[in-house]
Amino acid sequence: MNEQELTPHFEELKRVLKDKVDDERIMNELKKYVNEFHVTPQAAVRGILRKFGALEESPFRSSSSLVKKIGELTGSEASVDLLVRAIFVEKKDITVKGSPKTIISGLIGDETGTASFTVWEGKNVEMEKGSVYWLRSAYAKMWNEKVQINIGARGGVEKAEGMRVDVPDRSISMESSEAKIGEITGSMGNVTVTGRIISAEERNVTVKGEPKTVYSGMIADDTGKIQYSAWNDFGLKEGETVRIKNAYIRSWKGIPQLNMGDRCEVSRVDDTFGNDIADTVNTKKIGDIVRTGGGLDIKVVGTVVDMRRGSGLIERCPECNRSIINGECQAHGRVEPVMDLRMKLTLDDGTGAISAIINRELTEKLTGVTLGMAEGLAKARGSMEPVERELARTMLIRRLSLTGNVMSDDYGPMMIVRAADVVKEDVTAEAEKLLREVEASL
Amino acid sequence: MNARETAWRLFAGELNSSSASVKGNEEMSPTYVVTRLGAMVNRVMVAGVLTEKENIGSEDEPLWRGRVQDVGGSFFINVGKFQPEAASAIAELEVPVFVAIVGKVKTYTADDGRVFVSVRPETIVQVQEDVRRQWILSAARSLWDRLIRMKKAIAVNSTSEKDLTAAGFAPEEAKGIDLALNRYGMPDSSPYVKTIQDALRMLLPGSVIDFGFPEDVGGSPDEIDMDSEQSSADRQDMEDTILRIITELDTDGRGAPRDEIERRAEAEGISATELEEISDTLMDNGMVYEPDLKRLKRIDY
Repeated sequence: MNEQELTPHFEELKRVLKDKVDDERIMNELKKYVNEFHVTPQAAVRGILRKFGALEESPFRSSSSLVKKIGELTGSEASVDLLVRAIFVEKKDITVKGSPKTIISGLIGDETGTASFTVWEGKNVEMEKGSVYWLRSAYAKMWNEKVQINIGARGGVEKAEGMRVDVPDRSISMESSEAKIGEITGSMGNVTVTGRIISAEERNVTVKGEPKTVYSGMIADDTGKIQYSAWNDFGLKEGETVRIKNAYIRSWKGIPQLNMGDRCEVSRVDDTFGNDIADTVNTKKIGDIVRTGGGLDIKVVGTVVDMRRGSGLIERCPECNRSIINGECQAHGRVEPVMDLRMKLTLDDGTGAISAIINRELTEKLTGVTLGMAEGLAKARGSMEPVERELARTMLIRRLSLTGNVMSDDYGPMMIVRAADVVKEDVTAEAEKLLREVEASL
Repeated sequence: MNARETAWRLFAGELNSSSASVKGNEEMSPTYVVTRLGAMVNRVMVAGVLTEKENIGSEDEPLWRGRVQDVGGSFFINVGKFQPEAASAIAELEVPVFVAIVGKVKTYTADDGRVFVSVRPETIVQVQEDVRRQWILSAARSLWDRLIRMKKAIAVNSTSEKDLTAAGFAPEEAKGIDLALNRYGMPDSSPYVKTIQDALRMLLPGSVIDFGFPEDVGGSPDEIDMDSEQSSADRQDMEDTILRIITELDTDGRGAPRDEIERRAEAEGISATELEEISDTLMDNGMVYEPDLKRLKRIDY
C-alpha cells in the first residue's frame, strides 16, 4: 500500500499517538506492518497502538504483561509494562546476602503521576535522566503507602526511541496537601502547614561564591515542631501564627525539614492553638518514629533490650574526639588517648526499637558507675570488657525515658540522648484504667 | 530498611496458638510468626517465672530448655551454645525465679503437621517482681489493643491489605490482619478477654474482676514434646559441620573461601541453600563474620 492508501490509518493512529510518537515514526511503523509483514491495516493499527501502550483492552490478559499508567497501579501488580520518563536515576553497588550487586533506582513519571523504581539487575542497564523507557514485566509494591515499581530478573528496561512522555509539573512535586507537623514524613512532597513560629533567624552564607541570606527557624503546631528554611524573606517573626502553602519536605538524616521555595505562599492566620503548642518535647511511640524517620526533641519511654558493642570504656583522640582503638587515631595517628564512658543501648517499647547513644554524664547518672570507677575496674582486671558487662548488668531490662534528637538510616532510628531517666510506671493505676476500658466495651 | 525487629510483649497463649509464619517482602527480611490476632512477631520480650530448666546437652555444649510462665500460659525456651551469654545466665539461675527474656521466636513443625513455637533468648536476666507486673500490664494492654483493632478490621468487611490501609490501618498491621484472617478465619475473642481478666486479677488483687466467663474457657496451648525436635537437632549438627569446615579451611587466618566451603558442605550433604541459611544464622549469632565478600571467618571467644 502506498502512503495515500495508508493515510486514513495513519490519521487514526495520529489521533491517539500524537503526543507521544513523531509522525514519521508512525508512518514507518505502519509501512513496516503492512508492507513488510503483510498484515491487514486494522491489525497493524492495533499492533502499533499496543506497541506504544495506547491500547486499552488486552487480548491476552493472563499470559503477558499489561500496559498500565503509573496512576492506575494499585501496588499489587505482578507483571506490568510501563512507558515512562526517567526523572531521577542513580546507579548503586549494594551487597545482598554477601554478594555484590548493581541496582538502579530513582524516580519515573508519566502523564498520570510519578513513582520510585528499582532495577534489581542493573549491571548491564543504562538509564539516564530525561529519557523515555519501556519498563517491561515490572512488578509493583506498596511502601509507605506509595506505589514502588520493581524490575526484577524477569523484567527489562528498553529505551523507547522517538517516544514522548509528558510528566506534568504538579505530579513531580505532588499536590500540596494539608499536613499536621507531627505527621510529616521525609517521603512527603509538597505540604501546607499551619503553625506558630517559635524561632526565626537570618544567616548569611556563601553559595557558589555568591553571598546569600537564609531565613530559618522552627515552627510548631499542636502535634509537633519542624525546622523551616527559606531563601526568600517571608518576614516571619517569632510568635506569629502562619499558614505556609506549597512548602516542600526534604530530609536530612531522616529528620524532615520544611523548605520554603519560590512557589511557597505565606499568610497570617488567627492563632487557634492557645497553650496547645508542641514547642517543647514530643513524647512518641517508637513505632511511629520508625515510620516517620526522625525529628527534634523527641521523648520515648521503653525497656533496654540490648547493649551494643562500643559501650563501656572507650578511648578518644585528644585532637578530634573520635573514638579510637589502641591509641591509634585514623586521622591523627598515634596519640595519647583520653578515656571516656558511653553506652549504645537499644530501647524497645513494644511498638518498635530505637538505638540510643548515651554520653558519659548520663551513663554515670543512670548506672552509678563513674569514669574513675570504670578505669579502676578495667585496670584491676586488665581488660575493658568487665566495664561493659557491669553496665549491661545494671541497664538491661530497665525502663528508661530518653529525650533527644532522632536521625534515621538503613538500620532504623538513632537518638543522641540529651536527657535520660529511669522511670517507674504506676502499674496499679494503669491496670485500673485498662480494667475500666475493658468493662466499658463488654 | 533493616531496622531492628520490635520486641513484642504478648502472652504465651497468643504466641503458642500460632501456626502461620511469613517471610517479609525484601530479600533480607526475617521470618515472622503470625498470631490469630494479626501480630507479626519475630522477637519478643517476656517477663515471668522460670519454672523449670533442663540441660539436655552436655556441660561443654549445653542445650538448655526451660519454661517461663506468664499469667496462665508458658513460653518454651531453648538456649544453645550459640547464645553463650544467655546459656551461662540460665545455668546460674535457680528455679523458680523471676526472669526477663528478650529473644527470637522460632517455629518447629512436627511430623503430624502441628506447629510449636519456642523462644530462643538473646538475653536472660533475673528481675524483681515489679518488672513482671509491668510486663503483664504491657502485654494485657497490647492484647486489648489488638482485639479492638481486629474488631475494627472485621467491620471494614474486606480483609485485603489495601482496603485496610485505606481504612486507617498501618501497613504492617494491615498485612498481619490480612494474613491472620485468611489463615485462621475470624478469631474467637473469649480466650483473649479471659487472659486479660486473669492478668488484671493478678495486678489488682483487691478488686473483684469478672468479665463473665465460665472459669474453664480457653485451652492451654499444646506442649512441646521435649524429645521430638529432630529437625532442630539436625540443624544444630549442620551448624557444627559448617563451623568445623570453616575452621579447617581457614589456613592463613584470613578466613575460609566461600566457594571452598560450599564444595565441602555439598560433600557433607548440605545444599547451597541450606549453607546460606546456616551461615546467615551463624553470622546472626555472632559465630562467624565476613572479612570480605568471598570469605567467612570464625569469631573466637
